[in-house]
Amino acid sequence: MIRRRLRGSAVAAAFALVLSAGSATACERLQDWAGARKIAGKTWTVWWLSEPAAIPVGAHFSVRFRLCGPPARQVRLGGWMPDHRHGMNYRPGVALAGRRGVAEGLLFHMPGRWQLILEIAGAAGREKLTAEAVLE
Amino acid sequence: MIRIVRFFQIAFCMQFILTALPVSAVDFTAAEKRKILRHGPWPLPATPDPSNRVSGNPAAVAFGRVLFFDTRLSTSGSVSCATCHRPDAGWTDGRARSRGQRAVDRNALSLFNLRFNRWFGWDGAQDSLWAQNLRPLLDRREMGIGAAGAARLVRADRSLSCHYRLVFGTAPGADDDRVFVDLGKALAAFLETLVTGRTPFDDFRDALAGNDAAGRARYPAAAKRGLRLFVGRGNCAFCHFGPAFTNGEFADAGVPHFAGPGRADPGRFGGIRKLRKSPYTLLGRFNDDPTRSTAVKTRHVRLAHSNFGEFRVPGLRNAALTGPYMHAGSLKTLADTIRHYSTLDEERLHAGGERILRRLDLSGREQADLVAFLDTLTEAESGPKVEVKSEDLFCR
Repeated sequence: MIRRRLRGSAVAAAFALVLSAGSATACERLQDWAGARKIAGKTWTVWWLSEPAAIPVGAHFSVRFRLCGPPARQVRLGGWMPDHRHGMNYRPGVALAGRRGVAEGLLFHMPGRWQLILEIAGAAGREKLTAEAVLE
Repeated sequence: MIRIVRFFQIAFCMQFILTALPVSAVDFTAAEKRKILRHGPWPLPATPDPSNRVSGNPAAVAFGRVLFFDTRLSTSGSVSCATCHRPDAGWTDGRARSRGQRAVDRNALSLFNLRFNRWFGWDGAQDSLWAQNLRPLLDRREMGIGAAGAARLVRADRSLSCHYRLVFGTAPGADDDRVFVDLGKALAAFLETLVTGRTPFDDFRDALAGNDAAGRARYPAAAKRGLRLFVGRGNCAFCHFGPAFTNGEFADAGVPHFAGPGRADPGRFGGIRKLRKSPYTLLGRFNDDPTRSTAVKTRHVRLAHSNFGEFRVPGLRNAALTGPYMHAGSLKTLADTIRHYSTLDEERLHAGGERILRRLDLSGREQADLVAFLDTLTEAESGPKVEVKSEDLFCR
């Protein structure tokens, strides 16, 4: 009984190892994601790409992203201008399918330094990742 | 005698140097140049509005022009769009707060460059130009004819009905709302044509881009100094961004927002709430764009408490022609407006921790320089006179 449990645990551990190795491989930037940027957190690493590639001032843009790490239940995106202490006037909608997602409805309405904020939640916990963009 | 002549010679030379000095003194840094260049080129490309199937249609422009001047679109029969948006007054009425059939709480915004807006009206309660045109027709203080009244008028009037048929391909139908919205779309087609022309600033900006020293030298020294303040210490270009000199969003500019005793104008906060209740938005059945690509802003706009007291950032092209300024016309001239920001009462801002607007404490000369710069945003030659052609009045 104990041996069977141990064997079960060993199989599960090996399976987890294969999965994590797989996710590490999968965390490389995808080939068609030229210009994608990476944010590495403690639990999740994110590759993200804006459309258009150069974030415009005062025009809507979307963000495609790919998560590496444990499964995520929810991803929210936002923007923050630390020098001015204000965020966006829009709440982006996020469509998440597995580890990939698209956020639409972002708009940075001023030139200057912005933070793109991703808030990820899942069984592994919550994490807030931040990328910086300076808009001229 | 010789001494006197020499004195005058020296005085003349001194005067020449003093006059010439400010021109050469304004030498923009690379960072300033980048900031200046993003205010052009002008004019912007004019693309049709996909939410309006008659955008850019010449017959719709003619119909919209007729409607714009038609006083029968008011319940009193005495007020037209042109009552508050006079072509000879920068498409405003020169009043602090406008007066249609009755007085309203806000200043009449100019109609220049509307086609480049994201939101419409001081509070952005409308998300398209055609929807904005319906608002005064629904407001009894302005024109108030309403959807049913407007549709009835178009069906009954031979000339209006003829215009409608020419533009939309069918006679006005039984759906009042559909006919009403179509009038808004014809008006929008006309208003899209009101784009300001080239200005002395545009010539300077292009000279800067093309490294044309002679072109740069033609721009007045005071305007150059004002421009440096505009893109620099004044922080004006954070909100008055881009070729149209607006980021298309909303701000609390620190002006009182009481519409009357004990009555506040909620500004953008009220605008978003109205937008969400309106049947005439880009999310509704009247949007002619089947992809709804134009409705991204409407779908994602966020209502926040900080929106209270915010009003739309107006574009600055031809601003010198469109006073008084601010949402309730509380500032009479451009000089008053600059003085307002220079002596801003930060306690009055409902900024919720925001740190954009600061009291600027500009000197008298700096304030005059900013006004000189804003004056150069006035088009060098006004466009052709807008009037209803007689052949348009008698469509048969």
